[in-house]
Amino acid sequence: MSGVTAIDIHARVRLYRTRSVVGDVLRRAGLAAFAVWCLFPVYWLIAMSLKPEREVMSRRPKIFFFEYQFGNYAEIILDPNTLSYFFNSTVVAVGSTALSLAIGVPSAYVIARYRFRGSSDFAFWILTTRMSPPVAVLIPFFVMYVTLGLSDTHVGLILAHVAVNLSIVVWLLRGFFEDLPYEMEEAAFMDGATYFQAFRHIALPLALPGIAAVGILSFLFSWNEFLFALVLADETVRTVPVGIYGFIGFQTIAWGNLSASAVLMIIPVVMFIFVFQRSLIRGLTLGAVK
Amino acid sequence: MNVRRGLPRNAFILMMLAPTTVLLLGVTLFPFITALVMSFTNYSLIRPDELAWIGFGNYANLLGSTEFWQALRVTAVFTIVAVAVQMVLGAAIALLLHYETRRSAWLRIIYLLPMAITPVAATFTFRMMFNPSLGVINHMFKAVGLPPQDWLGSPSTALFSLLVVDTWQWTPFIMLIAVGGLAAMDDEPLEASQMDGASFWQTLGHHVLPMLTPYLAFALVFRSIDAFKTFDIIFVLTGGGPGTLTRTLNLLTYKHGIEFLAMGYAAAISIVMLIIAIVASQIFLRRLKLLQPRQARI
Repeated sequence: MSGVTAIDIHARVRLYRTRSVVGDVLRRAGLAAFAVWCLFPVYWLIAMSLKPEREVMSRRPKIFFFEYQFGNYAEIILDPNTLSYFFNSTVVAVGSTALSLAIGVPSAYVIARYRFRGSSDFAFWILTTRMSPPVAVLIPFFVMYVTLGLSDTHVGLILAHVAVNLSIVVWLLRGFFEDLPYEMEEAAFMDGATYFQAFRHIALPLALPGIAAVGILSFLFSWNEFLFALVLADETVRTVPVGIYGFIGFQTIAWGNLSASAVLMIIPVVMFIFVFQRSLIRGLTLGAVK
Repeated sequence: MNVRRGLPRNAFILMMLAPTTVLLLGVTLFPFITALVMSFTNYSLIRPDELAWIGFGNYANLLGSTEFWQALRVTAVFTIVAVAVQMVLGAAIALLLHYETRRSAWLRIIYLLPMAITPVAATFTFRMMFNPSLGVINHMFKAVGLPPQDWLGSPSTALFSLLVVDTWQWTPFIMLIAVGGLAAMDDEPLEASQMDGASFWQTLGHHVLPMLTPYLAFALVFRSIDAFKTFDIIFVLTGGGPGTLTRTLNLLTYKHGIEFLAMGYAAAISIVMLIIAIVASQIFLRRLKLLQPRQARI
């Protein structure tokens, strides 16, 4: 390609990327279709929260331009339980995320960086903790919690959520640390750093975006977790998903209250993702440092 | 690397692994051993006083029953189809997003919504939407002249409907991991190959997909494990029905453990499930060489 200037190359690359109008239209149509697919059930949930009861149960459900009211929201917000459910959810999600990261980051680093006997078996064992079917584990789990006095405590639910999420935290973070260049730690060792200092002052700061992304994921999983929260928590630590489940009766379902609380539950998450979506994506590039 | 100061190397490794080990052992060991021991007994909450050690009796009964093999088949179909569809769809959407020049924050948020909404609420919303007489899906079907379906109750659509819900809920997870992989990708060899006249599909096959493989493999492992033990959406939407057509191994465990209170038998089912998951993931991880760390250099 003699005689081709850098500008030409950029022009051609740009040309390639936008080479066909048809491709553009198809791509955007695909993205739009997926957006509708993701959005519709959420839209329907919001619509149910705004519709009056008879409209929710109508045989001719109106998709747009339905009659709306905010009674469900007023009921939920004025219910003193709501505040405590949200408080519990927040404490458990923040607590379990912080603890997962605090104990998961060092393990992931060592598994990724150090050669030691049984390292892949250890990584696999962590993965197996995600494999046990919850239905079978729940009863012995519950018995253990009652014996130890952990059931219906914040600490207990936090520990359970850490156990559920630690596998994904460690495996994702292991990927980040593997992708970090080793040279800087090597240089630090040359300068007399200890193993811990190399981790604390070199690897950890480089991995921060990845750690943040994993933290966001772990928060989401804990915030939405239902099964353990239902079994292990009673009055004191009832979280929002369990509170929502309470609207489901044996015969009837309080659709208005259920959907209104679910919508209220999404709002902080959406704000959270809106603020952090860039770092979430950047973090998930597994620490690739360019 | 020989480091003279601070903790010795092995002590450092132990210290870094200890908290994870202690917590995971503390939380999982007792339930696991309890389940394992129970699986060799006829322990039943209905007749707890007849408790006896029956060796591999539960396992023999289980492997000799048709309901086990049927549940295993349902579980396999559900897991394989759900994960395959979600992988393809998630990777495709990630690629479309990557080549989209106008980056929209709103689009990303919309794509993450299914993950952000609590599964309890999402599942019940789907139950409402699938409702044969009140549901919006049949309403739209009728509007365009298609016959309404009993989505969750009919043998021909029940499993399909469950797959739709699972795909809706989990494709964003795959997409998110793939978007991360694409963002980490080095664009230069890609552009060079395009300059050499490679077609879009050639570039995709030779450069983009190989670079994405570790990310997709990670997503595949976790999604498969989770799909294999799916419980909530099946329980809420079909309860394993119609008949036993959507009854997975996990629902079979529920039936014997929680409904019939036959704890020993239920424990045996879950131990079998655990063995299947361990064997399958070992084969998969070894084939993809995902167990050995790529950069263990110290």
